[in-house]
Amino acid sequence: MVDRPLDETGLVELARRGDLRAWETIVRAHQGIAFRTAYLLCGSSADAEEAVQDAFVKAYRALGRFRRGAPLRPWLLRIVANEAKNRRRAAGRREALALRVAAYDRPGDAVPSPEAALLRGEARARLLAAVERLPDEHRDAIACRYFLELSEEETAAALGIRRGTVKSRLSRALERLRAELEEKP
Amino acid sequence: MSELEQRLVALGRELDLPFEPEVAPAVLERLEGRRPFPWRPVVLAFAVAAISVGTALSVPEARSAILRFFHLGGASVVRVETLPPAVERSQAGGLGEPLPRAEAERRVGFRLLLPPSAGDAPVHVLRGSLASVVVRSEGRTVVLSEFRSRPEALRKLVGPETTVEPVQVDEQPGLWIAGGGPHVLTYFDRDSRYREQPILVHGDVLLWVRGTLTLRLEGRLTKAQALELARQVR
Repeated sequence: MVDRPLDETGLVELARRGDLRAWETIVRAHQGIAFRTAYLLCGSSADAEEAVQDAFVKAYRALGRFRRGAPLRPWLLRIVANEAKNRRRAAGRREALALRVAAYDRPGDAVPSPEAALLRGEARARLLAAVERLPDEHRDAIACRYFLELSEEETAAALGIRRGTVKSRLSRALERLRAELEEKP
Repeated sequence: MSELEQRLVALGRELDLPFEPEVAPAVLERLEGRRPFPWRPVVLAFAVAAISVGTALSVPEARSAILRFFHLGGASVVRVETLPPAVERSQAGGLGEPLPRAEAERRVGFRLLLPPSAGDAPVHVLRGSLASVVVRSEGRTVVLSEFRSRPEALRKLVGPETTVEPVQVDEQPGLWIAGGGPHVLTYFDRDSRYREQPILVHGDVLLWVRGTLTLRLEGRLTKAQALELARQVR
């Protein structure tokens, strides 16, 4: 097996000089997280795909403004998130997220009884519904930090806010979720 | 992390997110100033494959390191003069970790398409991108593999003597790759991290596209038997 680790700094430098093959490599490396981010923010698969395409085109053209040595992913996610949120604003609505039909368990987990599986499924659906009812800015923070498992720094970069604002939005969102879940057992 | 935060992370992993599209070709086309092709990618892939096969059959060509490309869904078939060194494996070996179907689907991120004969057979997952099951058909062992169609997700190298023939499975394009000794299979993982695992493959191979997936049957079946089994894959 041949394993060639990605040298992103070198690829960015090549892309800055107009090497589209280097940029293609970067696009392929980040398009998965970029699409998931865009989808969770705008709620439409077609809009998310378009947002990601536009974002990678704009990012390439803006490479001259990218600070050398800085991590690329947060910068890319910021552009992707802006594109996705623009489309959400234009559409005026966002489709609700859905859970997979099957509940997947980790290897080695005991097979749950039908009753336990039902309760677990209901609990997940209630939590998701509660997240969907949050104001957009709180929901976006939850989606980036927990659903996409971005770091606080990446969440801040993607949403274009300061890290302290991420913390406060998450804190208020979690408080609201706890209150709602306690209200409707 | 609080219990609620842990539940949110777990919830995120169980969201029914759509398949992640391959955007790199469209991005490159736009940056190169070319207009996107107006045809659907699969139709284009089939047309390229058909034209390539026609050319390969009709025009005597000089031998070179790479003699011909065939594209289909996420697979490329490359005709080369000399196969590179590769790891030889048993037909059902080296397919990855065997998992229950649900866990395998979670790992690869798509619903598996399987023939009824697969039953509850374990699904092998290689690097989170290639899912394979071993089934019996016509008294022979056959490996069915599937993966998300993305350019160059899988590359197959065949020698000059191997035939590559366009076929259709349920009106979807496919390629029947037969004869001429072993083939070599390499692939790129889900995150395109340039991992290559050249594997020497014996037997004939049917490649075809269904929806966003590219499927691959490997075994010592006739073309008719392979096509019949492919039609049972749902």
